[in-house]
Amino acid sequence: MPQNQPEETGRPASGWLWTAFSVCAIGAIALFFIPAFIIRPFTHQTARGLLLAMAVRQRAPLGTLISGIACLALSLALWGTVGRWRKALLVLTLAVVAFSAVMSRLNYFEWMFHPIAGPQFIAQAESKLDSNEMIMSVRFGGDARAYPISQMAYHHVLNDVVGGVPIVATY
Amino acid sequence: MWTRTVNGTALHFYLAGINNQNFLMRDQETGTWWQQITGKAIYGPMRGAALKLVPSDELSFGEWRAEFPSGQVLAPVAKYTKEYDPNWEPDVAKLPVVISFPGTELKSRDVVIGLTIGGSARAYPWETLAKQSPILDRVNGTPLLFVLGPDGKSFRVFVSLIDGHDAEFFLQTDAHSWILLDSLTNSQWNFQGCATSGLAKGRCLDRIPALKDYWFDWRNYHPETTIYKR
Repeated sequence: MPQNQPEETGRPASGWLWTAFSVCAIGAIALFFIPAFIIRPFTHQTARGLLLAMAVRQRAPLGTLISGIACLALSLALWGTVGRWRKALLVLTLAVVAFSAVMSRLNYFEWMFHPIAGPQFIAQAESKLDSNEMIMSVRFGGDARAYPISQMAYHHVLNDVVGGVPIVATY
Repeated sequence: MWTRTVNGTALHFYLAGINNQNFLMRDQETGTWWQQITGKAIYGPMRGAALKLVPSDELSFGEWRAEFPSGQVLAPVAKYTKEYDPNWEPDVAKLPVVISFPGTELKSRDVVIGLTIGGSARAYPWETLAKQSPILDRVNGTPLLFVLGPDGKSFRVFVSLIDGHDAEFFLQTDAHSWILLDSLTNSQWNFQGCATSGLAKGRCLDRIPALKDYWFDWRNYHPETTIYKR
């Protein structure tokens, strides 16, 4: 019977593989791009949108890893069954999936505003700050610290220990 | 500025995103998301936790230098000095806002001093403070003294009680001196809120934590806030 010919049984199997590949590729890409799109500067974040962004971003490192491996396995299974153009499509999609998996592990906000790894402090006589420049000041016991706002407005976050007390200065 | 010890563990924070122009941070230990302005954990394993506010000041370097001669200053990181913007104040004020509160008498980028006492929040427009310092006010029953420092840039907020009694404060300035006088004991007080002479000599007023912020940001996180009017 015609239904039992190999060409006919091969097609539904390949169709299922393509569907699965599309689902895992869209999943992996969404895991990175949804939070990246919602949490971007100079746009309004709604409470629900923000919650979604944090929830997705929290799960993205593991999620993109699993879906990335699944995408790779599916594309290997598809590889022999397709022509040159579909191979190119597979490779291109895999590249975007890999990009999403890598970006889900990197903090690109710290590319824009680099953190201070090991903060150094100087005596006030050594500081070149102008008297009019604004600083954030904190004191614990005998230890007083000044964080110039011009610097904090760039780094934004600084983990420090003042007078034995672990603090985080934020601006 | 916050203490970063929660449940006995010192957390290490990093910049993780932005929420309506107020940044989000996460801690390396648990991956929890925290809102910078409130110090609250808004998502993740520690959701619901809150960091404790550290008493801090926004002062001019000149004022701070005089008050803390042995204090230490955060050194600029050589790699990033070109990123530091000496004009951050006017430059940040020019950035667009993404939330606004029409119908309030303040503009989004107006600078306010915000404070919360017993759940009541109030915003003091910087312009009003600059014109009227010192300001005496009462929030939730607590008498307050707002004062702009000798440099005209630093500010502090005190509880205006001397030995439990309400006191009024007046500013006496000339080119060389900056003195606060109180109505109760006629003592002289400095910008640190401590009496330097008179009956109250040696006493210091209690401090109230206050945040210098843009109106839109303060209003966003304190929807019930009132605005100080003279």
